[in-house]
Amino acid sequence: MSFDFQKKLEKTERFLGGLKFAVIVITIFSIFMIVGTFFESYYGTDFVNRTIYKRMPFMVVQLGIFISVFFAMMLRLPPKKRLYGFYAIHTGLIMIGCGSFITWFSGVDGTLSLDPNTPARKVVLTDDILRIIYHDDGKTVMRKLPYVAFETNIGDKYEDVTLGDFYPFAEKELYWRKGNNPYAMNASIHSSTYILSNPNVTQEFTLSLHPEAIEFEASARLGLLDVTYLPKNLVTCFGDNNPSGYIIWDSKESSCFTPESRSIEIKNTSEGNKFFVVNQDSKFYSFFPDFNPWPVDEKLEVIKDSHLRVFSKKLFEDKPNLFLFGENAAYFEDNKWHMKSLKDKASIITLPWMGLELVLKKHDNSKFPSFRPVATMPVQLNGSLIKGQTKALKIEVLGKEYWVLDDRPVTLRINGKKVSFVLDKEILTLPFEFVLTKFKMEKDPGTNKPASYESFVKLFTDKGPSDHHIFMNNPLKHAGFTFYQASYSQDPETGVYSSTLSVNVDQGRPLKYLGSLFLVLGAMGHYLLNKRKVKKSDSADILNLEKV
Amino acid sequence: MKAILSLLLLTISLSSFSIELHFCDQSLESLPIRQDGRIKPLKVHASEMLKYLTGKTKYEKLSSTVTFCLVSLKGMGIPNEVDLKTNIEHVDLIKTLELKDGEHRVSFEKLEENMTLIRSEWQKAEEHGSYKKSLASVLNKINLYKDIKSANNWLVPLVNSKDDVAWLPIGAYLTEEKVVKARETSDRPFLKVLKDSEEQYEKIVDKDFLIELTYVKMQLPLVALFLTFAGLITITLFRKFNIALVFAVLTVITQTAILAFRVYVSGRAPITNMYETVLFSGYGSLLLALVIGHFKKEKIYVFVGLAYNVCTLLMLNFAGGMLSSSISPLVPVLRDNFWLSTHVTTIILSYGALALSWVLANTVLIRKRFFSMSPADERYYSDLVYTCLKYGTVMLAAGIILGGVWADYSWGRFWGWDPKETWSLIVLCLYMAILHGKYTSWIPNGRFFLLVAAAFMSVMMAWFGVNYILATGLHSYGFSEGGAIFLGSFFAAQILVLALTYTRKDNQTHA
Repeated sequence: MSFDFQKKLEKTERFLGGLKFAVIVITIFSIFMIVGTFFESYYGTDFVNRTIYKRMPFMVVQLGIFISVFFAMMLRLPPKKRLYGFYAIHTGLIMIGCGSFITWFSGVDGTLSLDPNTPARKVVLTDDILRIIYHDDGKTVMRKLPYVAFETNIGDKYEDVTLGDFYPFAEKELYWRKGNNPYAMNASIHSSTYILSNPNVTQEFTLSLHPEAIEFEASARLGLLDVTYLPKNLVTCFGDNNPSGYIIWDSKESSCFTPESRSIEIKNTSEGNKFFVVNQDSKFYSFFPDFNPWPVDEKLEVIKDSHLRVFSKKLFEDKPNLFLFGENAAYFEDNKWHMKSLKDKASIITLPWMGLELVLKKHDNSKFPSFRPVATMPVQLNGSLIKGQTKALKIEVLGKEYWVLDDRPVTLRINGKKVSFVLDKEILTLPFEFVLTKFKMEKDPGTNKPASYESFVKLFTDKGPSDHHIFMNNPLKHAGFTFYQASYSQDPETGVYSSTLSVNVDQGRPLKYLGSLFLVLGAMGHYLLNKRKVKKSDSADILNLEKV
Repeated sequence: MKAILSLLLLTISLSSFSIELHFCDQSLESLPIRQDGRIKPLKVHASEMLKYLTGKTKYEKLSSTVTFCLVSLKGMGIPNEVDLKTNIEHVDLIKTLELKDGEHRVSFEKLEENMTLIRSEWQKAEEHGSYKKSLASVLNKINLYKDIKSANNWLVPLVNSKDDVAWLPIGAYLTEEKVVKARETSDRPFLKVLKDSEEQYEKIVDKDFLIELTYVKMQLPLVALFLTFAGLITITLFRKFNIALVFAVLTVITQTAILAFRVYVSGRAPITNMYETVLFSGYGSLLLALVIGHFKKEKIYVFVGLAYNVCTLLMLNFAGGMLSSSISPLVPVLRDNFWLSTHVTTIILSYGALALSWVLANTVLIRKRFFSMSPADERYYSDLVYTCLKYGTVMLAAGIILGGVWADYSWGRFWGWDPKETWSLIVLCLYMAILHGKYTSWIPNGRFFLLVAAAFMSVMMAWFGVNYILATGLHSYGFSEGGAIFLGSFFAAQILVLALTYTRKDNQTHA
C-alpha cells in the first residue's frame, strides 16, 4: 500500500467517523423524516412508504448513519475508560441497524382475516401482484408489480398478454361507453343518471339495464324509498290504471300488455288464488301473479327462461316505490298510479315523499356508464384514503386494451380458453390453520366505543388442535410467527364479527432489543463517566438572589 | 309525564327561582350519573357539557349543575328562563344566520329553529373546508343541546343490587309513581326521588365516584398555578430563594395530588390526553429542576422549573378549548398500564427536561442581548443547559425505545414510521447533533443557546404538531382541533426571540 493511498484511507476514515459527516447525515435523515411526516399527513402511509421510507435514497442515508457510527467508534480505538459509554452507545446503534436490516430483508409483515368458524391460513402481504388464472389449464401465473408511487409503464409480455401502465393510486372516472357485444335494435339496454333532492339531501344515482354495465344495478334504496329501473317500453302499460294492476312484459319483443288490453280473463283457483293464461305462438303460459313473476307450463313447472313475465303493480302501492323508465317515472299516490315525463331537460318531478324532487341528468339508449382509472395523488383524511384508493393495471390482450382494477378483475377468452386477471396482494400460506371460534367485543358502558376486542381461535397443527386467546397486548406466538389482534369488521346484515390479526416474523428482534439496551445504558454511562464541573463566578447569578 | 308536570305545576309557580328550589338544587351535584362509559358526579358532567356548549361553566349566577338541570326540565315541559348561547365565529355562518354586526353569541333556541338551514348548508358546503367544519361543530352542539333538553343526556341509577344497576335517562326515571310517593314525605318530591337514588347507590354500590367531585371542587390546577406563580414572583422580583423553594415544593405536592386524583378516578396512568401530558410535563420538569438543582447546587434550576410550570398551568387553566380536562375511557390498545406508565411518562419527562433547557437558553439569550454576560458565565450556563439536554436526550431515547418495544408487543413491529414516532426520532436526531457539536466544541456557546432554544420547536412539533397539524397516525388518542393557532403563535414568538437576540458575536465565542 503506497503512502499516499494509506494517507487517503486514513483521511476518508477520519471524515466518515468525524463530526461533520455525522451532522450531515443526521440532518439529511431528519429532513427526509420531516418531509415524510407531512407526506403521510396529506397523502397517506402507503404513499410515503413508496416515496420515502422504503426507497433507496432513504436507505442510503440510513447506511450513511451506520457508517458514521461505525467509523466514529473505530477512530476511538483502542478502548479508553472515559469512552466506555460512547462505545456502548455506538455498539447499540450498530446492533439496532443490523437488526433492522435483518427485519427488512427477511421479516414478514401481513394480515390474516378470520371469519367465524372458517379455516384460514392465507396471510395477505403488502406487495401488489397480478395473478393470471388459466382456468382451463388449472394454472396460475403471478407477476410482482413495482413498488412505486406514481404511474409506471411495466412493458412486460407474457404469452399473449402485455402489461402496460400501472397506477398505484387511481380514481375511478365515470364515463359512458358503447358495449362490446351486438344488441337488437329494440333491446332494453338504456341507462340513466338522476338527481333526487330536498332541502336537506341531494343524491345523484345512476341505474342501468345494459348487460355490460357490471358496476351499476337496476335498483337502488335511498333511505325509505325504493327505486326500480325498468325497460322504457313498460311505461305505456304502467300508465294504464287497469283494474287488475297486472302487466305482462315480453322481453323478446321489448313490449308490454295488460290482461285487460288482450281480454285475458283473470280467474280464481279453488283456493281463491288469482291466475290467468296467456296464449302466445300457440303456447300456453299460466301465471299466478301474486306468487311468482314467471309463468308455469302445462305440467305446472316454472319456466324461468321465459320471455314473458308478469308484474303486479299492487304489490308496490303500500310503501314508497319509485319506478323509472329512463325518461319517464311512475309512482303511486291518492289511490292511482301517476306517470311523469322527464323528456324535457328542465323537467322536475315533485314526489309525494319528504318534499323530494327528481331530475334526469343523463340518459342514453345504447351507451352505458362505466368506470375507468385515472392516475392521481392520493389524499388522506382521518387515517384513511379519501382519494386514490384504487390500483389499476392496463393489459393488452390480442390487440385490445383492458383495465384490471383491484376491485374489478377481468375475465376473457383467449384462444378459446377462459383466463382471469386479478390485481391482488401477495399471499403467504401458513403451514398451519386457524379457525375463529369466538369473537368478543366489549364496549364502554352505555356507549358504542370498543373497550376491547378479543379473538378465541383454534390452531390446527401436526400435533393436533389447540385453543388460544388473542387480544390487544396479548399476542400469540407460534412457529416463529407472532399473531396480534389488529382489527375487526362486522357484517352489516348479520351483525357477525370477523377478526383481523396482524402476522409478523421478525428475526432481527433480539438484536434490536439488545442494541436498545446498550444504547440507553451506554448513554447513562457516558454522562456518568464524563462529569465536568464548570466553576461559577459571582456575576453568573443572573437572578441576583439574596445571599442567605 | 303529563301527570308529573301537573303535579309540579300544582306545587310551584313557574319562575326559574321556584323551579330551581323544587327540582334543580345545588345538592344534585353529587348525584351519580353514567356518561361516556363511566360513572361520575353530575357536577363534572354538567360542567363539561356547559363548557362545550357555551364556553363557560356557569350561566349568569347559576352553577353548571343547576343550569344543566334546568335545561333538562325544558324537555319535561317545564319552562324556565335559561337561554344558553354559543359562540359563532365563522364569517359565512354569521351571514347564514343573519346575525347583526358584532353579534357572535347565538341562543340554542334560535339555532334549533334554524337547524334545517344549517344542515342544508352543511350538505352544500365544500368538503373538508373550514365552513363545513364550523357547521358540523354547530350541528353537534345543537344535537347535544337537544339531547339535554329532551332529558336524555344524564342517566340516573336504578339500583337493584350491587351488581345490578340500571341506568335510566332522567326523563324516564322520574315516574309518576315515584314522585307521588316522594310527595308524601317531602315538599320537594322531585329532588327527593333523585337524592334517594343517590343514597341507594352510595349505600349499595359505592361512594368512589364522589372522589371526583372533591377533586373538581378543590380546583387544584388553579391552586397549583397560584403557588407556582407566587414562587416565580418571589424568586424573580423579591429574590428570595428559600421562599420560592417552599412555593415550588408546595406546587409539586399540589400537582402530585392532581395526578393522584386522576389516577384514582381513571384507574390508569395520568398521561393519556393532551391535558394530562401538559400537566405531567410541567410537573415533571419542576421535579427534575428541584432534583438537578439540589445535586448541582444551582438555584437557577428552580427558577427555570417554576417558569416552565407557569406556562403549562396557564394552558391547563385557560386553554380549555384546546386541552379538555375531562377523563374519558381509553382506546383498547392503550389499556396497558405498564407500558402506558413507562413509555409515555419517559417521553413526557424528557420533554420536561428539554423544556428546562429551552427556558434556560432563552433566558441566557435575552440576558446576553439586553443586559450583559461574560464569556465565563456563558460557559457556565452552557454547562447548565448541557446538563438538561443530557437528561432530556437519555430519557427521550429510552422513551422511544420503550415505545418501540410496546409497539412490537402490541402491533408486531418495533418501528413503523408512524408520524409520532418519526417526530420523536427527529427531535432526538436534532438534539444529538447539537450535543455532538457541543461535546466536540464545534458549536460555540453563543450558537449553542440559539440552537437549543430553536430545537425546542421540534419538541413542540412532535408533541402538539403531530396531533394538531399533521393529525394522522396510530397515536390517534390525542387528536383535536384548535391547537394549530397555539402552535403557530409559539413558533412565531420563538423565532422573534431568536431574531431579536441573534448577534454575530455568537459564532465567535468558543467554549
